[in-house]
Amino acid sequence: MKRMLGFTVIASILFFVNVSHCRTKLVALPERADTVIRLDNPNSTLVEEERVLTLQKGTNQVDFSWTGVSIDPDSICIKILTHPKEVNIISVSYPPGENALVWQIYSPQPYEERIRISYLLKNIDRLITYKAIANKEETKIDLQSFLVLRNFSGEDFSQAKILLDYGETFEKQVLHEETRQMLLLTRQNVPIEKRFTFDAMVLPWDPEKVQGNVGIPVTYVAKNDKKSGFGEFALWNGKARIFQDDGHNSTIFLGEDNLNFTPVGDKFSLYTGDSRDIVITQRKMKDIKINVKKNNLGSIVLYDTDEIMKIEIENFKDAPANLTIVENILGQWDMEETSHQYEKEDANILKFNLNLAPKAKQTIIYHYHRRNVR
Amino acid sequence: MKKIITVFGLILLGFSTGYCKIDLVTLPERDTVQLTIYNSADLTLVRESRTLTMKKGDNKLQFSWANTLIDPTSLELFPLKDADKITVTDLFFPPRITGLGVWNINSGISGKAPCEINYFTSGISWQAYYLATLSQDEKTMKLEGYVKVTNKSGEDYENAQVRLIVGKIHLLDNIAMLARRYPPYGRPIEILPRPTEMEKRREVFTMAKPALSEAADRVVVKQIEKEGLSEYFLYTIEGTETIPDGWTKRLLSFSQDKIPVINFYKFEEEKFGKNAIRFISFKNDKAHNLGKEPLPDGLVKAFKIADKNERLSYIGQDNTKYIPIDEDVELNLGAVLDVKVQPKMMDYKTYNYVFDSMGNITGWDEEKTYTVEVSNYRTIPAKIEITRNFPHQYWTIENKGDFGEYKQIDIDTVRYTMEVQPNTTKQFTYKVILRWGDRQLI
Repeated sequence: MKRMLGFTVIASILFFVNVSHCRTKLVALPERADTVIRLDNPNSTLVEEERVLTLQKGTNQVDFSWTGVSIDPDSICIKILTHPKEVNIISVSYPPGENALVWQIYSPQPYEERIRISYLLKNIDRLITYKAIANKEETKIDLQSFLVLRNFSGEDFSQAKILLDYGETFEKQVLHEETRQMLLLTRQNVPIEKRFTFDAMVLPWDPEKVQGNVGIPVTYVAKNDKKSGFGEFALWNGKARIFQDDGHNSTIFLGEDNLNFTPVGDKFSLYTGDSRDIVITQRKMKDIKINVKKNNLGSIVLYDTDEIMKIEIENFKDAPANLTIVENILGQWDMEETSHQYEKEDANILKFNLNLAPKAKQTIIYHYHRRNVR
Repeated sequence: MKKIITVFGLILLGFSTGYCKIDLVTLPERDTVQLTIYNSADLTLVRESRTLTMKKGDNKLQFSWANTLIDPTSLELFPLKDADKITVTDLFFPPRITGLGVWNINSGISGKAPCEINYFTSGISWQAYYLATLSQDEKTMKLEGYVKVTNKSGEDYENAQVRLIVGKIHLLDNIAMLARRYPPYGRPIEILPRPTEMEKRREVFTMAKPALSEAADRVVVKQIEKEGLSEYFLYTIEGTETIPDGWTKRLLSFSQDKIPVINFYKFEEEKFGKNAIRFISFKNDKAHNLGKEPLPDGLVKAFKIADKNERLSYIGQDNTKYIPIDEDVELNLGAVLDVKVQPKMMDYKTYNYVFDSMGNITGWDEEKTYTVEVSNYRTIPAKIEITRNFPHQYWTIENKGDFGEYKQIDIDTVRYTMEVQPNTTKQFTYKVILRWGDRQLI
């Protein structure tokens, strides 16, 4: 039995010499060696450990039992390493009412046999966190990613290899109830684009009608590709804290956001904060029914609309800004006239991409008809 | 491991009674400390430099922060010199000990190593507030901007460089919650700590050290350097400040006299009711002797010089929005009685009825004629803005009389702007025709 650091919590996966008459006696309590904690699946942690069994000639019974930890019994696998062709697993059985598993192993000779046991262990997992430092011009970031291992499984690992599917491999002691933060990877000079986004479905249209300022969200957009120093593996999702070089040998904190899971070739965006130096006022200037059709009872059954939207944009910054205005028109529609080109994100979402000069004012006016409104 | 914890435990006991709650095992003094305080969130970035003594090989460095509001997930240590020889391999939070983290550091050198430790704390805040004083003729204003820094973090910060951030930051987690959470990164099955009342007001029973002695010696007012960074404005207070736990400091950020202002009134029944609302308007630009920096949001208390002896009279107060450089400022000073706007409906008509095949009414026009009386009972001219809202977008309007500047704001809002001389009443008329039902389809 192993006890954790003077605590009375009984933890762990145990190999023990079983005294019951029907089970084969093992010679020695095998020590754990070469333990690997694999964290590539965010929902389940796989532990692999190697042990040396002293097998007698004939059929051996090996008990594997655990208390104080949570193991998925169906996930337990054993692999014979030293004599894989000669030593065979005959059967696996689960004793009633016990957290245990019994292997029947046949060995043609008495062997010191190295085996590997793997299982899914609960209450041990990892978080990925990121730290980015943008340069003063906000054209690139230095990105660090950390692996945070949280072990509340009930098990102490005196020495274990800790692996994700990319980045550094760590060899550490991991105790029960311990949290450990390790630097997983670093990338310098990752190019970024800074973008301001006004989404008319989310933000208030008229700052006059709002208490306080309407902040325009600011994001940094980067790409998981070779040019950015990535492009080899998908980046796991995790909390990112973004700082900026302040030009005085120090940094300021810009904000934090979730870096979403980003496959190779995809972009990730980090929302840092809101700009109050870009002011947007959106107002509807016309909205009337046209081409109205009535039924015999005089009720309106079909009509089109004639609508004009005006969006005034003021950049109070003394720097240029890339701004995206996201607009939404429901149903069937066509554009009669627009002051600015737009891209269709889908049938109902329009995106106007503007490059605002410092201290510039721009006005978008678009005139459209919704058709066949019932 | 058990041994090391015991050793740490002993060292901890030795220092836990000291005045400083953040201690390293070797307890070097802080060489410098910099506080970057945010006003849109309860967040302060602390950067401190300390000179650590390293031995060649593996070093363990303990950092404990009991009874403070530090976010352990923000802890960071890095060498300021010999970065290629000193590697911080990991940071771990030992089992069943709160408020303590240990860094493993591999050093290729032995001796003094200047390092920087960064972390977030909650409990330090700052606010902007303003005192505005109008001249007797109300044509100009003196504006004084202040910043007020309050430390309720549980930690004393001595001789700290203080920097203030103006801006709206995006956060995923509340720093005070992260400071309270144990274990620092939570558990695989997360149980979030419940917010406590204690968190709002932490009682600190230690005597705060006098913070004002060094300030009292100063004759010169401290300067505040201002610069833009990303979407934020950074205020750096000259020199250093000592802000013990529990104390607040107020500093003058700027003072500007002779800012030309417009006395300005708004009338909009749906928004403000029957009274006109007084505003003072100016622009945060060079023409108004401002425009050097954005003005952070804060409370403005407005006064007026009442007589030749420069006695003051209080006008009102308003929470101002953040004002970018070159943006107009409108301070709402509340309802007044000496400027009046009285719209009266003088005529009402309906016509152009439309009927369906059953003889039911399906549409008509409604004509309302309003006379609006605008009175300025003051001894100075007043600019007045009258906003009228209609029930829908199917309307036409005819304006008559002295209606000033007329503008359509959106589909159902119009605005009249006019200047009214002292002790004068102006009058104008508007006739609005509203089309209802099938009359909207023409």
